Amino acid sequence: MSANPQSPQNSLKSGRWMRSTCKMCLHSCGTIMHVTDEGVVNKIEGDPTNPSNNGKLCPKGNSAIMRHYDPKRFKQPLKRTNPNKGPGVDPMWEPIGWEEALDLVAGELKKTIEDDPRKILPSLEDFQKMHIWNWPLAFGNRNCFQSGGTMCGGAYHPVNGIVHSAFAVANDVKHCNYWINDGTGDGFSSHLHAAAQSNWVANARIDRGMRCVTIEPRLSISAAKSEEWIPIRPATDRHFALGLCHVMVAEELCDYRFLRKDTNAPYLVGPDGYFMRNADGKIYVWDSANNCAKTWDDETVGKLALEGTYQVDGKECQPAFQKFRNILDGCSPEEMEKITTVPADTVRRVAREFAAAADIGATIEIDGRTLPLRPAGYNYYRGAQGHKHGFQTNHAFKMVNFMVGNIDTPGGLMGVTLDDQWIDRSHVELGENGMMKPNPHQLGPVPPFAYPPNSYDLLEYFPIGLHPPHLNLEVFLNPEKYGVEYKPDVMVICHSNPIWALQGPREKWFEFMASMRFIVVCDIIPTETTQWADVILPAHDALESWNMTMIEPPHTEGMCMRQPATAPLYDTKSEEDIFYELSERMGILAAYNEVINMILGFHHKPELMLEPDKKYTDKEIARRRGLLWNDKDIDWYIEHGHSVTERRSDKWYRPWEGMRLHFYIEDALKERDTLKANMEAANVPFRHDWSWLDYQPLPTAILDPVHEEPPEYDLYSIFYKDIQMNFGESLSNPWIKDIVYRDPVHIALILNPKTAEAQKLVQGDIVRIDSPYGRLFGRIGTSEGMHPDTLGVSNSLSRAKTGHSKVAHAGGHYNDLLPYDLRNTDAVTGQPETVCKVKITRLDDWPEVLKNGGTVYDIVDEISEPGKGRKH
Amino acid sequence: MARYGMVFDLRRCIGCNACVVGCKQENTLPDGVFFTRTLSEEYGVFPAVNRVYIPTLCNHCEDAPCEKVCPSGATYTREDGIVMVDADKCIGCGSCAVACPYDQRTELSKDLFTQGLFGEGELTPFEEQGYSRFTPGMVTKCDFCSGRVDAGLDPACVVTCPTDARIFGDLDDPDSKASRLIRERGGRPPLPEKNTSPKVFYVD
Repeated sequence: MSANPQSPQNSLKSGRWMRSTCKMCLHSCGTIMHVTDEGVVNKIEGDPTNPSNNGKLCPKGNSAIMRHYDPKRFKQPLKRTNPNKGPGVDPMWEPIGWEEALDLVAGELKKTIEDDPRKILPSLEDFQKMHIWNWPLAFGNRNCFQSGGTMCGGAYHPVNGIVHSAFAVANDVKHCNYWINDGTGDGFSSHLHAAAQSNWVANARIDRGMRCVTIEPRLSISAAKSEEWIPIRPATDRHFALGLCHVMVAEELCDYRFLRKDTNAPYLVGPDGYFMRNADGKIYVWDSANNCAKTWDDETVGKLALEGTYQVDGKECQPAFQKFRNILDGCSPEEMEKITTVPADTVRRVAREFAAAADIGATIEIDGRTLPLRPAGYNYYRGAQGHKHGFQTNHAFKMVNFMVGNIDTPGGLMGVTLDDQWIDRSHVELGENGMMKPNPHQLGPVPPFAYPPNSYDLLEYFPIGLHPPHLNLEVFLNPEKYGVEYKPDVMVICHSNPIWALQGPREKWFEFMASMRFIVVCDIIPTETTQWADVILPAHDALESWNMTMIEPPHTEGMCMRQPATAPLYDTKSEEDIFYELSERMGILAAYNEVINMILGFHHKPELMLEPDKKYTDKEIARRRGLLWNDKDIDWYIEHGHSVTERRSDKWYRPWEGMRLHFYIEDALKERDTLKANMEAANVPFRHDWSWLDYQPLPTAILDPVHEEPPEYDLYSIFYKDIQMNFGESLSNPWIKDIVYRDPVHIALILNPKTAEAQKLVQGDIVRIDSPYGRLFGRIGTSEGMHPDTLGVSNSLSRAKTGHSKVAHAGGHYNDLLPYDLRNTDAVTGQPETVCKVKITRLDDWPEVLKNGGTVYDIVDEISEPGKGRKH
Repeated sequence: MARYGMVFDLRRCIGCNACVVGCKQENTLPDGVFFTRTLSEEYGVFPAVNRVYIPTLCNHCEDAPCEKVCPSGATYTREDGIVMVDADKCIGCGSCAVACPYDQRTELSKDLFTQGLFGEGELTPFEEQGYSRFTPGMVTKCDFCSGRVDAGLDPACVVTCPTDARIFGDLDDPDSKASRLIRERGGRPPLPEKNTSPKVFYVD
């Protein structure tokens, strides 16, 4: 073999490999880290022994080293010396010692807690450390300033909780043959374990011939790789789904056995929308064999009616399925086409293809159990579900799946738990009248009703919801309207960048930030939010710390361990150390340990429970989480890296066997009426503004209010990410930046060429985009892969200059264009509208703030100039 | 002796650029330098439009124009067909960059090694441990991770590819996965009219 002057490559240098877990997004792919003899981390690869990601890593996972060695990392605790705060204003940090920093922060927090613990606004957003996320419970605080709920699945998670008693959903890639993606990149570019799922989906596509259909306003990666892209007008996906249901019902393509046996579709619904119950509270069904009403559990029922109108106890009633049919009567593909722009013929064909692929009646033997096989699934996520009527929208997508009986069934749409500890600990329970107990609060119970509200984001008024953090702004600007008795004055922020991510105009959020008495941020690098901090508490990065987690793996279960590749590079601490030290100084240590025991489930194995007055390290918490999962100690995990296996089929497929699923969500009415009664009794002044019509037990074709904005806003606008920007921040990373700003879909505001022409715009025009709520500046690009009604804005065009050399100003943020009011908030789940209407104005030049160089567009121009030696 | 080549499965590639970043970490590539890239191209008119993602790297041509024009002998072909660049011999003339019809040669200008990946004028420990393999000013390219290949490993871009769109193997072995794919799915080399006999093939 000839000499190899370019050797050695990084992975071949003298050193050692260690197993760990990625944290470049919230998920948890297995990794192996190479550390040289000199102690430098110089290569990270996927762990080939982890059956989730099979040795694969996405571009973000491949770039973790650049976060570790980022020269802009916070290197010691910092204290602000500049009393003036604002975007772009230098805090003039002064390095301080940890003792001083912790005393200072704990003192400020204690001051506020003694005054009113509600005045603390936490934004703790580390999905891999839910025991940090839930720290505020230790002082009874239920506020939330973080962006997670609304910008991902504000309505998605609650509806998954009702239908699957699980946090997320994914199509069963092992058996699915017809995969619909609506407004999501699952299996191609985003969401659950992106690298892992892309591998599984590519194998299913190529090796098994799985057909993919993507519904989206833009030609996303999923759309480009699918056999069919169905462009759709933004915020009309529910109407498309209802059109599919219309066809399947009209043409009798449904799994009637499933609907009768495994759902509440045959339960009789009375005139008030509630199920018909007898004096004992038992729900009636109609026995069409004997032509009489019986209770659902009556063993003499001959055939359950799904359709028809009946008289029971003197009231007219219909089976829930008939109720849905009534709605679908108005949802013909032709009617829906007027809303979605999707041709009626396409809807009919896809409905038929989907139902045919589902192969209703087929069964499969898995681990000795005969199960229905329904190899077709309608998968969806943020883009499709993030609307004012998010509850109904998610329900409509579920209905497409209900029609073919594929819920939690081989080949179909599967519930995915947030954290695997719940798989073995009753994530599925029997509720009333044979139905599965709905579990909409996947991130913990909603606080009890109160007026005046205790939560600044009004969480207590969203009985089926997640936190609606955009409402913090609505309440801040209108405190009298909402009757709040207090104003938050302290923020505790950890691995969260709300000032980048929250929706609503930045200027108003800046006012909110400026009103704070004290802000502490625990983070790694400077962000839009850290520049508002009074104190920075610098955390270890993921290559310096311990953890044990597994978040939403679509096909696997088990724990993934994180261990340090190197000693901390700087004078930083783990999040555990930071929050334990604060807790001790604040006198809430015992309460915090109780919170962790509950959140991490240590109470399931009493020997693992944390003692009240002790502080624990990140390694010790990780050790106990490993022991909780499989009784293996940390040394076993250091050797193996993870305990991940493919999911056990009995826990994965139809774990609710023998229970009925919520086809009809009666709980929506119950929660509405309870909330209404509470609001009436408390004389809540804004109860008349509450969108009571949002609480629908079945999805309807109501239009989201975004379609009713003033006509001058003549285009829709959407926001998108691909895998390089999946979940958290990555544009400060030089390797990510190097790929993102070379990708045509991430360097301009994208219009269809015909739309650009109609707007008298050409590629390269500088424009101002206005919505009824805010504005941004940018440069126009064109693509045939954009729906003509739509302006597409990439997440790559959303940052503001932060003091991080790699982060460039983009001219605003799409989220500035979005509303933050009640009108655009789903009254059931708190999900806000994430599509907006806009108008475009051509400008002769950039506004002053963008003229000084260093913008995203300057970078794009610089790297696209040709140079010597084929500069790339 | 093997004759190494690579096959790109265009049906599998999702244009995610994991390969590109994996290559940057394996090879300690400076800012803006790529040994592999993923291009994308849109075709058609709405709504009958699609986009194809096209991974590219050095094609390790049998008849390599870059080797022919190299005046210093820095560019040479190993017995296993991998086209190499000797950092010590490269004089940075750039002839290879002009000759390469595939845009795969990159000049490593001196300032890349002083500005650093963060553009702050300092190098990270990661860069410090890795840049010694390059000579500032040299014009270089992908070497199929020849060191990994010698150690019996696949190139870094191949192991990390989430969709297994990159298949590395011995083109002389009719049973290698690469050979089978080329045969069964009609593998095509890039720009065959350039007559360079690439050892990289595309299947779709």
